[in-house]
Amino acid sequence: MAIEPQEAPRVDTSEIQYVDYKDIELLKRYINEQGKLLPRRITGVSAKFQRQLTTAVKRARHLALLPFVADNVR
Amino acid sequence: MAAPINTYELTYIVNAVLSDQQIKEVVARVTRNIQENGGEIIEVDEWGTRRLAYPIRKKRNGYYVNVYFRAPGEAIARLERLLEIDDDILRYLTLRYDAKMLRYYEQSKDASRPIRKPVPIEVPPVRTVDDDEDEDLDEELA
Repeated sequence: MAIEPQEAPRVDTSEIQYVDYKDIELLKRYINEQGKLLPRRITGVSAKFQRQLTTAVKRARHLALLPFVADNVR
Repeated sequence: MAAPINTYELTYIVNAVLSDQQIKEVVARVTRNIQENGGEIIEVDEWGTRRLAYPIRKKRNGYYVNVYFRAPGEAIARLERLLEIDDDILRYLTLRYDAKMLRYYEQSKDASRPIRKPVPIEVPPVRTVDDDEDEDLDEELA
């Protein structure tokens, strides 16, 4: 399932040094409505950023700042 | 051979159902524990009562406290034992700060705050079959 070149999202995350698990405003943009982490092919972030993002989200979930499962639309 | 002193960040959740006085006592207990074990408190940031993303021990709200401190390595084990045992502390997360995180922390205290990243406009992949394909099929069958 290839993504067309134009779909690569233009987000500049090069300035961010550390993804803070407490920064849920930032984190929320990278999870879907079910609370799942969005894949890189959708968000277009770098591998490094995605790794930091993942640990941050998992920490936030541990502290109940983000849900593990969210399906409220049902 | 001095024990290495590291910088740590601890975030913990206190039972929100407690009275203000009781909560204050819990926070004081934690702070005291850190100091008694050779730690030096840098900052205590109490976020107050927040809604939890999911119930913990049946409760929907928690009182969040954020602490930054410097301490020798051995102090952490003792601190976490207290956090684990105390029934009023529902969750905790202790992190050891590396240079990058320290820089981030310093920067957040400064006026020159890093700018938020623009939103990735992408919608979550709830991909279904393209509508076009369905229409073609219908036309063929009609």
